[in-house]
Amino acid sequence: MRKVSSASKTADKVFRVATGLCASSPVLFLVAIGIVVFIESVPSIKFMGWHFLTGTQWNLGDMYGNLEVKNGVSAPAGATYGALPYIVGTLASSVIALLIAVPVAIFTAIILAYRVRGPVKTVLSILVELLAGIPSVVFGLWGVIVLAPWVAQFFGPLLTHLGVVIPFFRGPVGTGMGLLSSGLILALMIVPIITATTRDLLEQVPILYREGGIGLGMTNWEVVRKICLPYVKDGLIGAVALGWGRAMGETMAVLMVSGSAINYLPHSIFSPISTMAAVIADQLDSALTDATHLAVHALAELALVLMLLTLITNFLARWLVHRGGQRVRSGVRA
Amino acid sequence: MGQSITVENLQAWYGEQLTLREISMDVDANQVTAIIGPSGCGKSTFIRCLNRLHETIPQGKVRGRVRLGTEDLYAMDPVDVRRVVGMVFQKPNPFPTMSIYENVAIGLKLGGIRNKSELLDRVEQSLRMAALWDEVKDRLHKPAVALSGGQQQRLCIARALAVEPEVLLMDEPASALDPVSTLRVEELVLQLKERYTILIVTHNMQQAARIADKTAFFLNGELIEYGDTTTMFTKPADKRTEDYITGRFG
Repeated sequence: MRKVSSASKTADKVFRVATGLCASSPVLFLVAIGIVVFIESVPSIKFMGWHFLTGTQWNLGDMYGNLEVKNGVSAPAGATYGALPYIVGTLASSVIALLIAVPVAIFTAIILAYRVRGPVKTVLSILVELLAGIPSVVFGLWGVIVLAPWVAQFFGPLLTHLGVVIPFFRGPVGTGMGLLSSGLILALMIVPIITATTRDLLEQVPILYREGGIGLGMTNWEVVRKICLPYVKDGLIGAVALGWGRAMGETMAVLMVSGSAINYLPHSIFSPISTMAAVIADQLDSALTDATHLAVHALAELALVLMLLTLITNFLARWLVHRGGQRVRSGVRA
Repeated sequence: MGQSITVENLQAWYGEQLTLREISMDVDANQVTAIIGPSGCGKSTFIRCLNRLHETIPQGKVRGRVRLGTEDLYAMDPVDVRRVVGMVFQKPNPFPTMSIYENVAIGLKLGGIRNKSELLDRVEQSLRMAALWDEVKDRLHKPAVALSGGQQQRLCIARALAVEPEVLLMDEPASALDPVSTLRVEELVLQLKERYTILIVTHNMQQAARIADKTAFFLNGELIEYGDTTTMFTKPADKRTEDYITGRFG
């Protein structure tokens, strides 16, 4: 009997091991990072308990004074770590970003997928993807130089007229650095990812169903609204969740335009804020000077909360998809 | 009631490729007209010009005149055209995210009917016309895609009928169906011609012989022969028609 040479059998083994390693690496990294972040946060979790999530004061304490011991953890006197303003800042800025970015992205995607053809489509697609490629710090710089002054002088004062109805829009507008500018810049940064994903989804809607709608006398917009968008709903929610995760985790640009508020809960759309990601980057230097290292542990806990929040929003999105999908979509897809 | 269709010098292109050459034919109201011919002969393109669907695809281009009754189809708004010229496609394509009820009701809702009981009446009426009502009346709100292929196709017929068109275009409506479902669709076509003008593209010559009053034979984008079905299948005037229907090619 003829046999396949042992060399190619060895190669197959190498191939299997290599693909196995590569395939399992995302899981390994995720678990490793999760474990490290969790272990690093343990002292802070012990020290603050649930007050970490509800406290509004973030104070590293007197680093040159005596240490005090609380819940078995030693810390500089007066140290307290309350992350609520950052959790609120993260959620508020990312939700504003989604409110702006999702409609813009969906309409852009509809146009890219159905309304333009040939070179126009290629150029527009490339532009959208280029937008995704701009480094975060460049967005931040643009935010400081252009966006914040524009918000302060023009857009902000315009919005304050809405303040009569919605208290959250009341002024003063201030420097323009704050919640609104953070939301706007985040919106710009997540539009490309949501647009590109939605465009790909819309392009996958079988022509059969779209022609079914057209043949029934639907207008282009009705076809999109009644047939295409419902068809891609699952993926669309996934795309939005992806964008949301990005917006919550985005650091540099937000840090530059947020106004870096510490110990301050936003009371209007113009209030300066900080997000969890921005605080971690912003505060790490000072935290490293804490001899007890508790400040670093507190930042690690902030990172843990951020990771959990991203996970929760992702699961929430998935759950929404699952719940909505079961009602109608139990049959096969053509 | 159905409307007659008059086609004059109709030409259609896919990009540079001319797929319909100078087609002229009169389609009688309330009759079944079959379009036969080998694959790629332009028969699908032809009926897709009659509800202005051909022009919606990239590089699809049409020239010539089509009249519905006395109205110029290409001077009308395409959306209005498709309301009076309904279409059933080759593969059943019920809207996958909608229930059986919604699939039929959607056209009515877009037409401005809001009243719930009126909607239900019209949906029932359309499903009865499509001979589907008895099979689905207990599960109207179940997903349309859970139906069998034959049922899905009859649902698509009901969907097209619900908006009360005058003409019904059918693009090989039975080609994806089993023989029993095919027979049901054919019976349906014969019943529907009382109220609609029906054009049916078919690959199946027996089918054309069974249901069509008139038959048109297309070859390479040209209308070779058009006339009474019985005459065409017994005494074809053109040699190419004879070759095709006797199975020499196609």
